[in-house]
Amino acid sequence: MRVRDFFLFRRYSLFIFIILLLLFALVLMSLRAQQRKGVEFFDALLMEICSPLQKTFTLVIKTAQETFQKYIFLVNLDKENRMLKQRIAELQEETTRAREVKLAFDRLRQLLQFREKNSPSMIGAEVIGQDPSSWFKSVTIDKGERDGVKKGMAVISPAGVIGQVLKTAPHYTTVLLITDYNSAVDSIVQRTRAKAIVEGKGENRCQLKYLLRTEEVAVGDVVVTSGLAGNFPKGLMVGEIKKVDKKGHGVFQYAELAPSVDLAKLEEVFVIMEPIPTPVHPQEEKAKKGKKIKK
Amino acid sequence: MKRFFLLLLAGILLLTLQTTWLSSFPVQRIRPDLLLIFTLYLAFLFPPTLGGILAFFMGYLMDLFSGNTFGFYAFSRTLVFFVAQFLKERFYLEGFSFQCLFAFIFTLLEGGLILMLINALESIPVGNLYSSLFTFLLPQSFLTGLVSPLLFFFFQKAGSLLFRQPEQGINARG
Repeated sequence: MRVRDFFLFRRYSLFIFIILLLLFALVLMSLRAQQRKGVEFFDALLMEICSPLQKTFTLVIKTAQETFQKYIFLVNLDKENRMLKQRIAELQEETTRAREVKLAFDRLRQLLQFREKNSPSMIGAEVIGQDPSSWFKSVTIDKGERDGVKKGMAVISPAGVIGQVLKTAPHYTTVLLITDYNSAVDSIVQRTRAKAIVEGKGENRCQLKYLLRTEEVAVGDVVVTSGLAGNFPKGLMVGEIKKVDKKGHGVFQYAELAPSVDLAKLEEVFVIMEPIPTPVHPQEEKAKKGKKIKK
Repeated sequence: MKRFFLLLLAGILLLTLQTTWLSSFPVQRIRPDLLLIFTLYLAFLFPPTLGGILAFFMGYLMDLFSGNTFGFYAFSRTLVFFVAQFLKERFYLEGFSFQCLFAFIFTLLEGGLILMLINALESIPVGNLYSSLFTFLLPQSFLTGLVSPLLFFFFQKAGSLLFRQPEQGINARG
């Protein structure tokens, strides 16, 4: 009987293995769904193994692209004009290099000014990889827990909000972009001070949720962070309203906005380590002064 | 064991390519899913235990570097692997067009599965996601299908060199 059982087990062992592996994946999914976190040690270990490769590849690709851009037009030179064109190429290269240096300098100066102006408790990080799937929106950056980065921290750039920290490893971090379906940022429309939640909509677009129908918003209005929830300081630009729809019934209206940051071309970002002291809006400042005078 | 780690390394390299080089193209969102093609290759040529665990790892890695908080890919890639294993002996899979079609269908089916899982677990209105079916899932599936014969050929060559085994057609048993 036991021998027979053994043969039956051998016969169905592959089937049992398939079921167990699929069940394991499902259990992992349900654990993540309940706790909103994965197997943290294992996640961090795998990220530590894979991210240096990403970093190296990004560097190689950038270098190759730059070289390609510089020299591709010089491949089919005419023999007669070789000397002349070579000279032009050299000059072009020098100009390109000088322009690149100037652009990098401008960008870094802007970043430094932004950092000094807002908070010293921000760290700069480089984007080393994009989301491998097309359904979700995230990037990998080269700073992690060892640099003080923690889950939920805000990630910004001088142009505005980028997203928040989703997963961390000792030296690398995954950042959930504001365009992801899972992202939500408490915000206000700068002109009318109407409150809403900015949620990701996938295709480099976000939507304003819970925006009251009675609020007057128009295309072109700027949306900024409210500073009420999460780690985002008040007044950071989120994006510009591109579409408003009051059709249909209900308490809320629909509005769509384009993020102020070009999330497809991210290179450097800032992670806010501590909440920045909230800057007071000029209108609010006037109102406060008015109240004081009345008192 | 050596085989397992070499294949895992190959998977990590493909993931790196997918997150860096393929993402540097202007149409960033529409890119072939190299890891899915690799999973299909594993299903065609490797035994269920080794291939199944590798497919699970490929999905796990996808989850790790994506904004997906639940781990959909660990499940979907394992499922794709076993379904492909089940089907490989029932269909003729040699030749450019059949391989293209096979990869195209699997990319579409996996997209549909992910869509259902997102809808079930993340309470995102499906209407928002339906537009993605035509704007990126179809082109992406087409591109994945188009690239797959080339990658299968490359994987087979690399496999025969690395594991010092005679080249097999993808219909051969693993």
